[in-house]
Order: sequence, then C-alpha cells, then structure tokens
Amino acid sequence: MNPFQDDQRYPTLSQVGASMLHFLSEHPQAPVYRNQSGNKLTKNDLEILNRFEHDLRLRAVDWDDTRKPTWLKEFVEQVYSNVPHYRSQGAPPQFHDIHTITRAELSHDITDFVPDSVNAKRMIAFSTTGTSGNPLTIPSHPRVAAMYLCFHRRALRRLGIELTQGPSHVGVVLIGFQSRCFTYVSVTPQLAECGLAKINLHRNDWHNIEDRGKYLDALNAELYTGDPLSLSELMHVPLQTKPSALISVGMMLSAGLKKQFETHFQAPVLDIYSINEAGPIGVYDSTLNGHLLLQPDLFVEIVDAHGNPVPSGERGEITLSGGFNFCLPLLRYRTGDFAAMSYTAEGPILTGLAGRQPVRYKTATQQWLNNIEITHALQHLPLAQFGLHQALDGALTLKLAPVSMTHAKACSEALEKLFGLQSIKVVKIATEDKIMQYTSDLLDAHT
Amino acid sequence: MDIVGPPLQQLLRRIAETPADFLDEPRIGKKGRLEVVALVNDCLRNKGYNPDAAWLKHFISNNPRADRNRLQIVAMTTWVLADEWFSDNPLHELSLISMLQNDLALLAESIQRDQCLHDSERCEEFARFLLNCLSLRPEGETELQAIDRLSALSSTERQRLLKNSVEAERRAREIREALAKKAAQESADKHTRE
Repeated sequence: MNPFQDDQRYPTLSQVGASMLHFLSEHPQAPVYRNQSGNKLTKNDLEILNRFEHDLRLRAVDWDDTRKPTWLKEFVEQVYSNVPHYRSQGAPPQFHDIHTITRAELSHDITDFVPDSVNAKRMIAFSTTGTSGNPLTIPSHPRVAAMYLCFHRRALRRLGIELTQGPSHVGVVLIGFQSRCFTYVSVTPQLAECGLAKINLHRNDWHNIEDRGKYLDALNAELYTGDPLSLSELMHVPLQTKPSALISVGMMLSAGLKKQFETHFQAPVLDIYSINEAGPIGVYDSTLNGHLLLQPDLFVEIVDAHGNPVPSGERGEITLSGGFNFCLPLLRYRTGDFAAMSYTAEGPILTGLAGRQPVRYKTATQQWLNNIEITHALQHLPLAQFGLHQALDGALTLKLAPVSMTHAKACSEALEKLFGLQSIKVVKIATEDKIMQYTSDLLDAHT
Repeated sequence: MDIVGPPLQQLLRRIAETPADFLDEPRIGKKGRLEVVALVNDCLRNKGYNPDAAWLKHFISNNPRADRNRLQIVAMTTWVLADEWFSDNPLHELSLISMLQNDLALLAESIQRDQCLHDSERCEEFARFLLNCLSLRPEGETELQAIDRLSALSSTERQRLLKNSVEAERRAREIREALAKKAAQESADKHTRE
C-alpha cells in the first residue's frame, strides 16, 4: 500500500514517486511541513503539457512594433464571446479601443472574467495581497500551475541548462522566509517525478536551525527559486552542495545582489519578471539590458495613463493581453508595473522594469528626479528589498530589508549624492509583505 | 425586418376577430377537439409548401402542461396567416417553418394565448413578433422604429435577459464556491511563487 496515494493531489503517482515524497517529508532533518498541495495532474493533463512544452520549444514571440501577434484577433473574438465581462459589451471594437482594466476590476468581481468554457470543478486558486490594496484571488488550473515550469525551462535553456528528469533527485526547492509560509512536498510528473519541496527558512519551521543546511544538502536540489529576501537568507545557510541555477521572482533584483548570489552559489541566477495574473513574463538578460519576453501567446503593450500605446523606447505601464492561464484570459490588463519596450533579434524586451506608478522626488535644489534614477543609484548594492519615501517637507526615508541594513551607510551616501546635501533617514522594514517601493507625500510627485 | 408587411392595425383587428373554432381546446392526447397539426398542414399547403409528415409531429402532443399554450398560439397564428395580405404576398418557407416550430415555442414560454387576445400590449407584441419572424415590418414604419417598438414590448426579450442574469449569477456562484473550497486554496505546484 502506497501511503502517499492520493488521487486528488497526485493522480499519477508511482511507487518511486511515493518514495521521493517519503524521502522529502520523513528525512530526519526535514522541516515542519505545514500544508499539503500536489501536482493534481492527470494522465490527460500530462499529454497536453507535453504537447505544450514541445510547441513552446519551436515558437518565438512573433510580434514587434510593426505587427501585432497573429493570434490576437481570434483571441479577442473568443474573449468577447466567452467571457461575461466582455460579452455584455457586444461586438469587439478595434483592439486599441478596448478599455484597459486594472487589478481593481479583477478584484471587484473575478467571476466576471472567467470564461464560460472553464470547468469550475478543477479550478484552483492563488491568492495575492499585492501592494495596491486590492487583494485578489486568481482562478487557475493544475495545468496552468504546471506550465510555469515550461517557461522556466525556456529561460534556463538560453543558458544551456536542461533540467534533469527522473525520480532519483530533487528538481526544485522553493525557498520562503517568513514567520508563516505555505510549505509542502510534491513530485513533478513532467520531469518524471523528480522531487519538489516548498520550504520556509524561518526558524519557526525547523526543529533545529542547524538542520536547514543538512536538509538542503541531502536534497541537493537542481534549482532554488525564491525572492531576493528568501534567497538572501539562503546565503546564510551553510551548504556543501550547489544548484545548477537559481530563479528569483516577486521583487526587483538589483544587479549588485544578483552578482552576490552568483558568486555565493557559484551558479547563474535568473531574474524573472513574473506576476500571479500572468505567470513568468520575461527573463533578465544583462547583454540585452532588459527582460526578454518568454510567452509567445502574451502580447505586451506599454501604454500611457489613458491606455494609449506609447512609442517604442518610451516608458509606460506594462499592459497584457493573452497568456496561458485559460481560466483568466487577459485583455489589455494594466499590471501596475512600468517599463519601456524595445526589440531585439531574439524578441521584444522590457527595459527599466520597475513596479508601480512612477514617482518623482525633489532634490535639495528643487529639481525633479524620476524613481528610475533611484533604482540606478542603488543598483550596485546587494539590497534584498528597499523603499524610498519623501515627506511633505522633502525629508527622505529609506526603508531597507533587515538583511540589507548592513548597506545602510552605502545607500545613504549614494542617495545623498543624488539628492544633494540632504540627510537620509534609514529604517528597517518591519513587515514581511512586499512594500510599495516608491512613495511620496508631495503633491506633484505622481506624474 | 427589411420587407414592408401589412399595416399593424390590420393584424390587430384580425387577432381580435379570431373565430371561436381557432380558440377551441387543442387536441392533446385524447382530450381537446382542435387538431392543430391539421391547421399547420393546411396553412403551409395554402402557401404552396408541402410539409413533411415527420416534421408535423411537432404539433402533436400528449403533454398538456408542456404544450397546451404553445399549440393554442400556433392555432391562432394559422388564423393570422390566413389574412389576405399573407395570401397575396409570398412568405419565405424556412422562416415560416422556423417560426411555427421554434419561435412560437419560445414566445409561449413568456406569454399566454389569452393575453394575446385580451391585453392590448401583448396583442401588439404578438403581431409584431410574427412579422419579425417573417422578416417583415409594419407598413408605415421604418426598420428602426419597428425594432424599437418590438424591443419595448417584448416578453421574450425580458425573459431572455432574466434567464441570462439568473444563469450568470448561478455561474458566478459556482466559480466563487470553487475558488473558496479548501482544495482550490491548497492550490497546485508551481515552480515559483510570485
């Protein structure tokens, strides 16, 4: 009898896959696993995923500033006939006349954006609080969750890294670092049941803090994924083993911290721009100086405040149409993130990516500085997370992740140089959630 | 509604003057005297068409609850179609067949035959509904006027909107419940978490 047999969580689990689950969860140094998840993939799902992976290998992002994606017209027609929010508006207008939507609309009533064709019985949910004040539950599907791997493999392949298949090793460990964190073990059937663990490095989840290194060495994972905060904590865990690569998502990764990770782990670090609403969107490439788009079925526009596309190279809000989450097809969805678009032989890239609406700061000489200049000024420092706030009187407060407080002096110096002779107050970020990176009380700060 | 039809008043008068024979109880199972299937057969033959025997079975029923009102409305329609205007002007066979088989069934879900006789608004709706099914508009009206007036009166449109809104609410509830379930919130494996 297979003790891990669970047709809902692991519909295709084999005996060797079960052994992997046993190894991950029953290891003497294993953390407390607080939750359960599972790949939830059926045999039919796996066949569809195999085809998806195969097609993805052959496809490139086929649009640029002179032509729209070949699939876009049909996609819009499908959305207008199959998604309640759009169906109620009648026939589809010209693409650029379609009203943009934001997280607020999705958050107001997400059910209005789920196509009629989606079977609710197999739906899963990913909840996000975000930094915009609009908590959101994203409808998804086990296949959609599994497709993340396809895009990661696409990004890894650019570095010549092919993930190993088979149940004899651990494929990925997702690293968290919060007082409370969703943790579990699983196997990945797309990679022939290699192991997967989502762990929390916080001491709350370990019988003995020394176990962290021993356990991770025992797992010897091929890939670590996490955000700059959790990966920064991973650097404090003494490891004898090294991964093939690391993937950083969820927050901006500075060039300084990326370099520090790569030196420490002796492995490449992929900085992937990924959001819950659309999955992995782009991977940073320093030679291209931007995030190369990863999804052939995602059309990315850069728009102004009125939803009009801006010329190539100009900054604006990243706006998405299409995507692989068939439970939530996006149509001109404004992400709240900002960048410019440019085009390379390998495909479109997002340059100067920054979260949330641009904010201007006033220097000592009453000059305006765009927040992107703050990013550039601090780029060389290995900061896991930071935020800058300007008060009405012009005073600046820099918030730093606890792990980054050692760089407080260097940050102050860099910002004082940028702002003139102002003194910068540096405080520790108290919350574990993402923070708004750039904020200001000045009336004209939001352009 | 691209073809000019008879004056609306002519049809309203015709409906009001429906003879008792056409208002008789339709034959359903062993009850009722009015053979609606025979009325439909005669109606189509008078227009020059030869209805298929299998198709005519749509107008034979053993289920009074499901079909009584529909057959009553079909019977009254055959009376309206016997008006001289319809005798003098050709009617498109497919539209006619579709109206008798499908459109009147839809109308019967939202309107009673007796309302068509005694309620002036429903009477006008019935007349306009028949013309619309046959791509006709009342004489003296533009296409837009005819569409607007029918929309304003339409019980079927109201019924459709109501049904859609009920269906939309049911679907929204289904999705909300699915997303709220513990199993959904346990989620599924992603290799990264944003």
